[in-house]
Parts: sequence; C-alpha cells; structure tokens
Amino acid sequence: MKKIEAIIQPHKLEEVKEALKGIGIDGMTVTEVRGHGRQKGHKEVYRGMEYQVDLLPKIKLEIVVASERADEAIRTLVAAARTGKIGDGKIFVFDVAEAIRIRNDDRGETAL
Amino acid sequence: MSLLAVGEPPAPEQVHGTLASRSAEVTELVRLAWTRTLQPRFPSGVALAATGGFGRGELFPHSDVDLLFAVEFENQIPAMKESLSTFLQGLWDTGLRPSHSVHTVAYCAAEHEDNRELTISLLDRRLLAGDPAMFKWLDGRFRAFVLKRGAAIGAQLAHLATGRRATFQDTIYHLEPHIKDAPGGLRDLQTVRWLEALGVSAAAAATSAQELEAAFDFLAGLRIRLHEIAGRDENRLTFDVQESLSDRPAELMRDYFRHARQVNRAAARALEIALAKEDTLLGRFHEWRSRLSTPDFTVSRDRVLLRSPAAAQRGLELFEFVARHQLRLAADTLDRLAGLEVDARWEDWKRLLQLPHASRGLRAMQESGALAAAIPEWRRIECLTVRDYYHRYTVDEHTLVAIASLESIADRRVADLWAEIDQPELVRFALLLHDTGKGSGGDHVAESTRIARAVLTRLAAPEADCAAIEFLVARHLDLSAVMTSRDLSDAATAKMLADRVGAVERLKQLAIMTYADISAVNPQAMTPWRLEQLWRVYLLAHAELTRGLHAERIHSAPGVAADRAAFLEGLPVRYLRTHLPSEIDAHFELARQLESRPVAIEITHERGVHRLTLLTRDRSGLFAAVAGAISSFGLSIVKAEAFANAQGIVVDTFSFADPHRTLELNPPEVDRLRGIVRRVVEGKQDAAKLLRGRPKPLLPSRSARLKPSVVLNNDASDSATLIEIVAEDRPGLLYDLARAISDARCDIEVVLIDTEAHKALDVFYVRSKGGKLDGELQDRLKLALVDACASQ
Repeated sequence: MKKIEAIIQPHKLEEVKEALKGIGIDGMTVTEVRGHGRQKGHKEVYRGMEYQVDLLPKIKLEIVVASERADEAIRTLVAAARTGKIGDGKIFVFDVAEAIRIRNDDRGETAL
Repeated sequence: MSLLAVGEPPAPEQVHGTLASRSAEVTELVRLAWTRTLQPRFPSGVALAATGGFGRGELFPHSDVDLLFAVEFENQIPAMKESLSTFLQGLWDTGLRPSHSVHTVAYCAAEHEDNRELTISLLDRRLLAGDPAMFKWLDGRFRAFVLKRGAAIGAQLAHLATGRRATFQDTIYHLEPHIKDAPGGLRDLQTVRWLEALGVSAAAAATSAQELEAAFDFLAGLRIRLHEIAGRDENRLTFDVQESLSDRPAELMRDYFRHARQVNRAAARALEIALAKEDTLLGRFHEWRSRLSTPDFTVSRDRVLLRSPAAAQRGLELFEFVARHQLRLAADTLDRLAGLEVDARWEDWKRLLQLPHASRGLRAMQESGALAAAIPEWRRIECLTVRDYYHRYTVDEHTLVAIASLESIADRRVADLWAEIDQPELVRFALLLHDTGKGSGGDHVAESTRIARAVLTRLAAPEADCAAIEFLVARHLDLSAVMTSRDLSDAATAKMLADRVGAVERLKQLAIMTYADISAVNPQAMTPWRLEQLWRVYLLAHAELTRGLHAERIHSAPGVAADRAAFLEGLPVRYLRTHLPSEIDAHFELARQLESRPVAIEITHERGVHRLTLLTRDRSGLFAAVAGAISSFGLSIVKAEAFANAQGIVVDTFSFADPHRTLELNPPEVDRLRGIVRRVVEGKQDAAKLLRGRPKPLLPSRSARLKPSVVLNNDASDSATLIEIVAEDRPGLLYDLARAISDARCDIEVVLIDTEAHKALDVFYVRSKGGKLDGELQDRLKLALVDACASQ
C-alpha cells in the first residue's frame, strides 16, 4: 500500500476530489495548511508598505491506496491540480506498513 | 424499561414517573448493598445520604448516583475503607455508577473553597440508610450553616454557574445544545431553585413558576430520552437525535429554544441577584460605574434599570445608552420591556450602529424582544437552526455573534481596516440582515437582499445607504467563494473581483463583513489559514482597484446623462473606483457651480475629520497653494487627492485633522478658511507668505525620525512619471513638496497622499511638457524633493 500526500492550491481541491472520485478513490483526509516551497512567499504592497507573505495557504490531501493503484492516483492528481504556475504544490509518496479499520479490525487493503 | 413511545414528546406525568421510579429502584439497590456490606460492621455512627439529583428523588436513567457517608470523626474513615470498597463494587456490578464521598458532619457544614460542589450537592439530601441520629445531626448543622451563610453560598453557586455558562459562550442558541449544562438547560433551572431555597433570590412569580415547571418537563423528558438512546449519561442533543425524536426537527428545536429562553432568563435574573449580594472590590468598581446614571436610567453593577415606565421610549435611546457604556439590561428592565413597541427610523439606527459597542445594544434589543418589534423580519430567523456540520449557533445568534466579533478583532491588519471604514453602521446593518432570508427554503442571499431593501425603504433610509447595504447583503458570500474556489494568482480573478466590487470602500466593507461572518460560524472558525486567505483576496482586489489606474481615463461613461458624462470625461478610472456614487454626485453639483463662479469649495466635517473639496480650472502651482493655505491654519493634512478631467477642471480633496480645535471652537474660522483658499486659488494671496508666520512644531526624537525616501519611476505609467515619497510628516510638508514640483515646471496629474502616525506616504504622477520627465530633470527634482522633506 502507498500513502500519497499532496500539497495543492486551495482552489484546486474540488477538482482534485472529483477526479479521484472518478477513478474510485473516495476516502481522503484534507487539512488546511500553510507553508512555502521554492515559491518562498512574496511581497505584497498595501498602502505603500511592503508586506512579506512567507507562509501561503495550501491544502494537504492524504490518501492511501493499494500499491498497484498508486501510479494511476498520482497521474490523476497531477492532472487535476496542475495550473502550470509556480505554487502548484508537491506530491510525496510513502510505503504503508499496515492499515487497520478500528471498527472491526480489518487489516491490509480490505481496511482501505 | 422505557415508558415513552419512541418519536413522541414525553408527557409530563411520564417524566415525573420515570424519574421517581428510577430513583426508588436505585434507593432499593443501595439499601440492599448497605444491609449486606456496611450494616454489620457499622450499626451506628455512619449515615448514608443521597445527594444531588438522587437526593431530590429525580434520577435520570444513566446519571451518577451521588452518595455521601457522614461520620462524626475523621479517624473513623480509614476503618471504613475495605467495607466501603465491597459496597461500591456491588453497586457497580448491578450497573450503577455510584459517585461517593466520606466526610465528617463538621466538614459538611463549613465552606470549602476547593470543594464548593459538596455544599451545593448537600442542598438536596435525604437519608438512605445507616444511623438516623447522625443524619439528623448533619441535617441540623447544615441547615444552620445555610441560614448563616446563605448569601455567600449563593454567590459561590452563582460563580460556578457563571463559569459553566461561559464555556458555552453564554448563549442558549447552540445547534446541538448540551441540555444539562448549557445556558437555559437543566442545571440552570436547578440553580434557580437552589437560589430560591437559599433565600437569595425571591421565589419566581406564579406565571413564571408555571413556565419553569413546563420547561423542566420538556427538558427532563428530552434528557431521559437521550439517556435511553445513548445507553449512557449523554446530554447533547445532536442532529441525529433531533431527527430520531421528531419528524420535524426544526419545530422540536424551536420548542427547545422557547423553553430554554425562559430558563435562561430566570437563571440570569437569579444570578444577577446572587452576585449583587456579594461585596467585592470588583463589585464596588461596578457600583462606581453607577455614576453613569441619567434622569431616565439607573446603572447598577453594569445593568441598566428604568427610573420610570416612561423611560422605555419607543425609539432606541435605551439601547444606545447600553451600547455607549457597554452595559446590559437588568432582569427587571427586560420584564418591563415586554410588549414594547418600537418606532425607529434609519437616523435612530445609524446613531446606535455607529457606537463602538453597538453589539451590546443589539443584544439588549434581542433579549427584550425590541429587535423583532422594530424589524418584524427578524422573527424569521429567531431560534432557526440550520443543519450543517460547521455552524454552531442558530441563525439569529450567529448574526449577533458576527456583529460582536468586530468589537474584538485580534488581527492587527483587519482591526486597522475596520477602523478605516467611514460608515461602520452600513456594515453592521448589513450583517444584521445578511441571513434573514434563511428559512425561506430558496436562495437565502436573494431573499435576504429583498428583505434588506424592504426594511430600509420602511425605515426611510436614503438611497445611497440602501444601495450600499443591499450590495453588501447580496455579495456577502462572494469573497468566501473566491477564497476557496478561485486561483488567486490568475489576473482574471483580480479583474473579476474588482469589477464586481467596483469601489475600494465597498471592498473594505465586504472584507470586514466576510471576516465577521466566518468568525461567527463557530469559535474556532477563523483559523489563521482562513484569515490569510481572506487577506490575500482583499489585497488582490485592492491592488487591482488602485493599480495604475491613473493612466486609464474615463471615455464616454456609459449610462449617464450627457452633462455628467462631460464632467467625468478624462478623469482617471481610479476616480470612479475610489469614490462612492454619493461623493461623485456631490462633485458633480460643485462642478455645476463653476458655470457662475471660478471656484467651488465645500468643507464638511464628519467623525473628527474635515474634508475640503475644491473644483476649479487647473493652473500651475494650484495644488501646492491650496495645501499651503490649509496648513497655514495649523491644520494637519492626512489625506489628499487631485484629479483633472478633459475640460481642465480639477477635483482636489483634502482631508485634515484639526489638532488645535481651531475650526471646532471658532465656527467663523470655517468661512475664513474658505475665503483664504478662494483667494489663494484666484492668485490674490500668496500661500508662502501665509505659512511664514506658523510656529514650528516639535519633531519626534531624533532616533524615531524617518530618513526620507524619494523614488522616481518612468515605468509605472504609460504617460507620466511616478514619484513615491515616504517621509517624516510635518505641517506644510505637502505644500513644500508640491511647490518643489511646480517650481521644476512639472504638472501634477494625480496626487494620492496618506499618513500613518508620523509617516507621510505621498504619491504624485507628474508630467513635464506633456510627457514623462527626462533623466536630467528627474535628478534635479529628486534633489529638490529630498531637500523639501528635510527643510524646516
């Protein structure tokens, strides 16, 4: 199993959710986060004053899928989240050792 | 074991029957356990008493069973430990949840700061088993203690209750209320009864006693049902439970709030009396505030009482008084206001809503029913629940929390923005009506907008205010939508926002409204994430509305009359974006005066700031001359703008403070100022001469002084050179800067002046011989401007 963690632009959330749903991935965890990568924030000018904006609002989306579905999920995610501009975000992929459904103790992929 | 049919509201006699039979059943179990375990070892010297709800014989299906073991001496306790533990285990095994304590009679009949709950639980006590003489002794000692210390116990009880109520934001209007502990719940009802029993607050009037009895039956019935559904001591009336209890959960909740409101009012009144009997330093401070009293109103402990029935006029004076001094209405006042008819016009509302603590006044209006009396549409959202995962409050409560949130803005940027808004009453009134369309079933924004228009028409509000509020209500979700669903780095988003909002002032109002609306969804809703996102949206739209608009000129303004189009022709597009329609109307009226005279001047005064608007034919050095004339009166220019239209008519506005109160204390000075400005404009008087006589002000200490920065830029605009100056503000600075520009034979196209404390932020768009400034002229002018910043 793979855990896919994607940092995306807030306005792309709906599109990404729909796209994942389209390939049968319904379960996900969504968190409102702030951060910066190479984009490193930027300066905003307001009333003649410069404000350094260094932590930009982003959305963190986490899903866990069977290993053989990871590529498809990532492709779908990238296609839906991309605008082609700086700040589109990143995707990180992790190996998952085990998944357990708390309600009935299902293990492995059946717990997803 | 349920006696109640599922899905039906429990009948009162069933409620009492269920509680009494549960109590009797548990009493039997406890007595049996006593006889088996403790009786043989402690035939005398120990009394077992039921306390709390069990003591009253009102036991809910899964409530804790409160037990007290009373002994004479402390040293009896260790010997009881083993048998006591067998006794308790036995009770646990029968499925009860005993909650016990062991104390000496002397301990029970004394105050304990760290164990106030004990005193309160003992207010309801009955003997279950054990030594009757010991219980009799406890009973007698406790009675004497209460008789002597009743007021203090009452105050302690009131403090506990106040703390408990505060954890629920002091409101009954929760969408998933905790029916035991929340304001208006069973604990509040019991508190009222305890305070009566303590002799602290008078017994409720007959009608109100009846209402409280009905409220108890209703709330207790719900609580029994909650326990049965959950199979444990669960007291939160969640959405799921609401649905399983009724086919029409919204009606069930309206019933709930109706009862909770009665309880809440009775509790608030009893707590008020209990706390008033306590003599503390804070209490004395609140008492000292009674000097706020007027011939109509008495203020006692921050509560407003009416001196005569007539003092509750039909207008909003009482509520203005509450808002001005951050007070609340006394329980007695609320009683007297029942059925009050309110006849308020827009002017009355404006006065109330301009006050810094306007939310207090609105809260008092809601509590007394005056809000619904003044705006019948308010009734549509009273106690209205909207079922979604995020909202915590009913719609009416959400509305009042939103307005109150503006009185404690933690974020500096938003707080500054709110302070900049010229007409806070428009934002507050728009917030008051923004969700009135909810509950209509259809699109609530459209319905709220329709209601807003109807209400304002009835209040006879001027069209400009109507239009502003209508706009804010209609657009109140727009910024939130952009925050989550639009690409903020896309230029099209900025343009769409700017087009939709139209003017900077509207954008500010809308941003503040969005802040308040989100903040009032639940106490944690305004996360740093949302705040940052909202601020980005605001900046984006602000930049779009003010960026480079000097270059874009108005050509054939659409949809306006020919004479007005001629006036607008050639003014920067920015002019339209930064002025409200009412201001543009006023300018147009002044422009018409130019047909019969060379100069039109208007001086207005609003909220501590004077504003001089000047229309005349442009000429070299004009802006500098007017700035100098204003400064020569000792007035401090905080904002200025200058625009010119295609006919060569300039529209200059200067906003200035009056630090020496010259104009305020000497009304004729306003006319003299107007006269001097006119003479300076007509070239009959020299501004430099006027300024020469002014005393020099004290500058801030050297370390606090700002090094002037002058930046000239030829790329910012297609047709003019941009000059940005940041310098230490001082009287006459604007005159000196404008003079330096005129002396260099440059024409000032657009001026935007702003100040922040001692810092002046000045922007000029200038041209020379019809074009941008060349390198040599730029260098020369820069030196002259740096000199002007420094000169004194």
